[in-house]
Amino acid sequence: MLLELRDIEKTFKDNQVLKGIDLTVEQGEVVAIIGPSGSGKTTLLRNINFLETANSGSMTFRDQNIDMARPSKEQILWTRRHMAMVFQNYNLFKNKTALENISEGLVFGQNMAKKEADSLAEIALDQVGLLDKKDFYPSQLSGGQQQRIGIARATVLNPDIILFDEPTSALDPELVGTVLRDMKQLAEQGQTMIVVTHQMSFARDVADRVMFFADGEILEQGDADEIFDHPKNDRTKQFLSAIAEDY
Amino acid sequence: MKLSRIITTLLSGLPVTLTLLVFSFVFASAIGLGVAWLALRKNNFWSGAARLYLGLIRGTPPLLMLLLTYYGLPKLFMLIGVDINDWAKMIFGITGLSVGWSAYLSEAFRSAYLSVDKGQYEAALVVGMDSKDAFWQIIMPQTALIALPNIENLVIGLVKATSLVYVIGLIDMYNAATDLSNQNQGVYKLGIFVVLALVYWLIVLTIEWIFRSIRNDYEYVTV
Repeated sequence: MLLELRDIEKTFKDNQVLKGIDLTVEQGEVVAIIGPSGSGKTTLLRNINFLETANSGSMTFRDQNIDMARPSKEQILWTRRHMAMVFQNYNLFKNKTALENISEGLVFGQNMAKKEADSLAEIALDQVGLLDKKDFYPSQLSGGQQQRIGIARATVLNPDIILFDEPTSALDPELVGTVLRDMKQLAEQGQTMIVVTHQMSFARDVADRVMFFADGEILEQGDADEIFDHPKNDRTKQFLSAIAEDY
Repeated sequence: MKLSRIITTLLSGLPVTLTLLVFSFVFASAIGLGVAWLALRKNNFWSGAARLYLGLIRGTPPLLMLLLTYYGLPKLFMLIGVDINDWAKMIFGITGLSVGWSAYLSEAFRSAYLSVDKGQYEAALVVGMDSKDAFWQIIMPQTALIALPNIENLVIGLVKATSLVYVIGLIDMYNAATDLSNQNQGVYKLGIFVVLALVYWLIVLTIEWIFRSIRNDYEYVTV
């Protein structure tokens, strides 16, 4: 087991966003988290890499036990240096070129020499088919290109887990496919991923396990067939049928 | 009166004007950065102290700031037994303008810092940077670019504020011009002031050009 979360609770003012989440992720597993907006999916991801601090709960990541409510600075940095994250709105560094966006984490997070970092960054850029854009700034790139660089920025770190926070939600519909293709390729290479997504087709085709998340709780989880074709929970059924009406 | 006489007289005051401008800007920026840093701290004492400073300084007319510096600073130093009455007037001029402009610059830095997209900092953290690297690599450069137009305005304002040093008897360009005008009973007044305006205008154009060049270097960085 690579990651285990135990009883994570998170409250914003009077609003309890996470109501005791338990979650385990195996090495190489792709976990998709689906569910209505505002249900706490993103907050859960942000608690895992300490962009938010939980009110209570604990985590075992690799061999480290971490108190989620009271992580030490070293534990936070260590966790972040073994994970990566892809954001909904890309968050590429606006003052850095595509190549620098990718090499930055190697240079400053992993103390790699600039030259070595650059050559790894070029390989990562090539993998997402954007090597010719290496000297472009984010403002010169489309959303799809930015997000694929966001993915390259994550993979180049060789992280144990990549957290995807609705990676295609801000994209033009026609650009969604390229990003999903990169993610699928990663999954096939055995990259462990937790993906918060509204792309049901991705969850169905790529995820080893799908979790239905609503009102701060995991209401149901299982493989894609179980969740999509044989949901047991009424709330899951309601959500899936509401989505189906879109098509 | 020959035009060349007007120009040479005005230019004799130019070094004082430029010295005031450059040193006041450098010191005002340094103080401004420090005050902005304090104002942004979570510690109530320091952020409160910074806010009090900003309120007082911004509420004082620049002219009055020069007078307070010129007459007040020696008294303050007397309290610790140091006599600074012999210091050059230039030092008082630079001090008064630096303090006065530090508050404006501080607010330019602070507001720029606050408008950097929070996601930029988070992205830096999740690629494994510590907060120090995230600040210097990502946040600070973007803050500077956001603050640039405000800083440009403030520098241009400072160019004009240097003319206020006449109140402490410094002979800058403006003071040289009024002296020349008075020596001639005001006969050539208009000509002198038109030339003076042109010189200030040239200085401002140069400043605009410098800032435009900086911005052009970061043409594709939209912050």
